[in-house]
Amino acid sequence: MKSTQYTEETLDHFRNPRNVGTLEGDDVAIGRVGNPVCGDLMEMYLRIADDRIVDIKFQTFGCGSAVATSSMTTELVKGMTLDEAMEVTRSDVADALGGLPPIKMHCSNLAADALHDAIKNWRAGIKLEPLAAEDTSADHPTCAVPLATTIDNADDYLGRGLYKKVEDINELTDKRTLVLDRGDATASLAIELTKVTPRVIFLTELDTLGLSPELATAIKRSDVKVLYQSRLVSVGGEGEIEKVRIFDLDEENEYDLFVDAVVLLEK
Amino acid sequence: MKEYYIDYQSAKPVDPRVVEEMTPYFTERFGNPASLHAPGDRATAVLDQCRARVAGFIGAAPEEIIFTSGATESNNIALIGYANKNKRTGNHIIISEVEHISIHNIAKFLEKNGFRISKVPPDQFGRINPEKIRSRISDDTILVSVGWGSSEIGTVQDIKRIAAILEGTGAALHVDAVAVEGLIPIDISTTAIHLLTLSSNDIYGPQGLGALYIRKGVKLAPITMGGGQEMGLRSGTEPLALIAGMAAAADIATAEMVAEAKRLASMRNRLIEAVLATIPDSHLNGHPTERVPNNAHFRFEGIEGESLLLSLRDEGIAVSTGSACSSKTLEPSHTLLSCGLLHEEAHGSLEFTFGRWSKEEDVDRVMEVLPDIVLRLRRLSPLYTVN
Repeated sequence: MKSTQYTEETLDHFRNPRNVGTLEGDDVAIGRVGNPVCGDLMEMYLRIADDRIVDIKFQTFGCGSAVATSSMTTELVKGMTLDEAMEVTRSDVADALGGLPPIKMHCSNLAADALHDAIKNWRAGIKLEPLAAEDTSADHPTCAVPLATTIDNADDYLGRGLYKKVEDINELTDKRTLVLDRGDATASLAIELTKVTPRVIFLTELDTLGLSPELATAIKRSDVKVLYQSRLVSVGGEGEIEKVRIFDLDEENEYDLFVDAVVLLEK
Repeated sequence: MKEYYIDYQSAKPVDPRVVEEMTPYFTERFGNPASLHAPGDRATAVLDQCRARVAGFIGAAPEEIIFTSGATESNNIALIGYANKNKRTGNHIIISEVEHISIHNIAKFLEKNGFRISKVPPDQFGRINPEKIRSRISDDTILVSVGWGSSEIGTVQDIKRIAAILEGTGAALHVDAVAVEGLIPIDISTTAIHLLTLSSNDIYGPQGLGALYIRKGVKLAPITMGGGQEMGLRSGTEPLALIAGMAAAADIATAEMVAEAKRLASMRNRLIEAVLATIPDSHLNGHPTERVPNNAHFRFEGIEGESLLLSLRDEGIAVSTGSACSSKTLEPSHTLLSCGLLHEEAHGSLEFTFGRWSKEEDVDRVMEVLPDIVLRLRRLSPLYTVN
């Protein structure tokens, strides 16, 4: 089977996904798995009454089979007890779709995993916040600003792409610029920089914006790309900054990001 | 359903005029150029004449062209052949991060065999700053390989400046010209390029054939052994019909390139303007102006490329994606990452490439359906809130 060859059943669920959306209320369990870095993210919302799934919705950022398997999963488990739903496996879902191309089996894991995650969260009394919810920062007016981390080799790049202060934003014209979260002043600078360069990344170790509400709204509306739960590990490049190494605190993995400048404002 | 093919980068149809010129060589005008009889001599004459035509396409001399099985083989012969022949001079090779996967994997192979590889990252538009090449050159640098254009994001490099920087350093320049051939005039006589890769299909010739330009005086070690055809660098009987096809394709490209590039650029520009104006949170990948005339490469926040591709397929539109899920690995495109995109941004990319049979109605069709598809997929996405 070719990597893009899907059964008619799969294509039907992709084209007309069932039960898309979110649910709200105290009787709703939320499960979330995947990572947009790998090209997939899945959320399942279960409304539970008497230990039974009475309603179910999902949202996904994923490929065709991620959409189709989520849709099929919601159909399969609606009406089941939680125990029954815990028994539903990824291969049950794939079978119901008439099979999936081998390379797509990874994506098919997500739906069942998100379902099980929701049930586990429900049983453990954990309530996740929906990701797409507007302005989550409003619920956390001022989170603590993280401690300034020291980057081992940063001083090697002073004057060669590393900025400890920015006197004239024009110095960063058209540079892919990474700004480390050191509170409101750094967020304002990040927004200001979008006037001179299309690429500004605001890196924070927090899972939400620990800024004043006005600034949190402003940065969300701006072209600044916010990277949450991320730590700068090191800077690299031949003679000048060309890339940085970032640690994803949530996924606990490291990756390279190509940038031209890093702004590490001193406190 | 009517089909709209906007994926000329993946494969091009062979021009019917090319097929016509090829056909006799499959049947009555066959022959092995190595044979000493009359049919052999006739084949030799055809081979010489076709070699001259392909050479003429880039301003080279006929004896500077060898035929290969395609661009990937040309890249292998150029890089491995040059490295092995010149390893006593040095062991350092420079490539760019935005190269075709074949160059990356050849570099990996050479690294395992004792060569040192440096990679030059591009700016956010996919352009290589020639100064970054200069800063990496050392006494043991023997070869620099930079693609003239990116077959993915379409960005075109300033090859003249890169060649100028290398002059006097002792390092040779290899250029993979596949993404620009037939779209941008190539004149090897005015630029100090030592090795240049061409593909036949990329100028609407048959698949299964490519060429390598080898500047007079540049020495390569063969990487395959056999009967010694093509200056001993690509053994095996020359496929006469394919070669006749590439020669015909080169002639057509030379005659029609300027007008065709203008036509494609205007179509492509209309698509870029319409997408960016109509679809919120859409971005153009690659360079705004320094790009091949037929390429438009977009990124849509909050959605995944393969979902876009499948939805467009349902509307009869064939395009490519930089997304992981459509290829054999789950890794997103190395080219997009090296431009500074995050993984999830690279996954949301879509590539349109127009060609000889593209029409303005292809753009109309895309704009008829794409905005709704993006909206529908964003409604499914937890990473995007549709207002």
